Amino acid sequence: MQRSRARVCAGRGEWKGSVSDLVGKLPGERKMRFSIYRYDPDADRAPRMQSYELEAVEPGMMLLDALLRLKARDETLSFRRSCGEGVCGSDGMNINGRNGLACITPLAGLKEPVVLRPLPGLPVIRDLVVDMSRFYRHYRAVRPYLINRDPEPEVERRQSPRERERLDGLYECILCACCTTGCPSFWWNPDRFLGPAALLQAYRFIADSRDQATEERLDALEGPYRLFRCRNIMNCVEFCPKGLNPTRAIGHIRELMVKRSI
Amino acid sequence: MSARNHGLRGWVLQRLTALYLALFLLYLLVHLSVSAPATVAEWRAWVGDPLVNGAWAVFFAALLMHAWVGVRDVILDYVRPAGLRLIVLFALGLYLLALGYWALVVLLAVAP
Repeated sequence: MQRSRARVCAGRGEWKGSVSDLVGKLPGERKMRFSIYRYDPDADRAPRMQSYELEAVEPGMMLLDALLRLKARDETLSFRRSCGEGVCGSDGMNINGRNGLACITPLAGLKEPVVLRPLPGLPVIRDLVVDMSRFYRHYRAVRPYLINRDPEPEVERRQSPRERERLDGLYECILCACCTTGCPSFWWNPDRFLGPAALLQAYRFIADSRDQATEERLDALEGPYRLFRCRNIMNCVEFCPKGLNPTRAIGHIRELMVKRSI
Repeated sequence: MSARNHGLRGWVLQRLTALYLALFLLYLLVHLSVSAPATVAEWRAWVGDPLVNGAWAVFFAALLMHAWVGVRDVILDYVRPAGLRLIVLFALGLYLLALGYWALVVLLAVAP
């Protein structure tokens, strides 16, 4: 990226600044520096951090807007994105050391240079794009669907408002992986610990009044690894862009396990 | 209990022993600050009391079980090669059993 270095008023005025210095001081328009993880496994021997500078940052801009502008300039920069409003969960990344969604992270609150890295703990496909297969495998392992052996009713399976309320704080998960990839227990045992996202989903179906497989679900979560690697570190709660609480869900599952074993 | 509830068993054991450790340490703190034994004879008489002696025995048992679950968790996380992990776990178990035996010998020496 070329920085404008045209000197103005050089000479007798003795002003040694540049146009870009001047622009940077205009209200509502400023520059921001980024340091972005770049890695192409086919071409690069090792990952590197690349510096970028973005001019004309407007107030209210989100990180994703900045990334899209940087990509317009350097099309080799790779990241996932889709809805752009925190619903699809595609643009999860590590922003200044914290996992979050780029599309709902305001640029204004970020310390410079903004350091962007891929979600930790998963293999990098390219730049900020990680291989989510392991994450989805753990999600599938908790059988994230209703299991009900009764004959299908004429109308829908009904729930009282109270039964429905128990799913609040569970069903909203968008599977962005910010929680699971921020969990040290997942980093140490990524192949066997299911991670906060999958465990939150496990409890979402355990808590569902229409589901009849609670026993099997609890059985499946037993053993020292799948659930019990959770050490209540609570990075998941800290990072969840939807404000959910996987640690509490895991606590409820443990509670149910204790209750049925007594 | 079967291997099936291995995770839950460890987790429950850790919490129950933690509860006892906390209560006993609280009792110890209060007792030693209110009426600390002044001489060895008094100290022996206190630990020699069957109730106190039993409470100490449970304390050591709880402490060792608590340590077993906690350190086992750390080993499961950090010692990855299966063979090495088995050796480390075995050494840990042996060490904790030895400590337990030592505590038992001490408690029996002053037992009534």
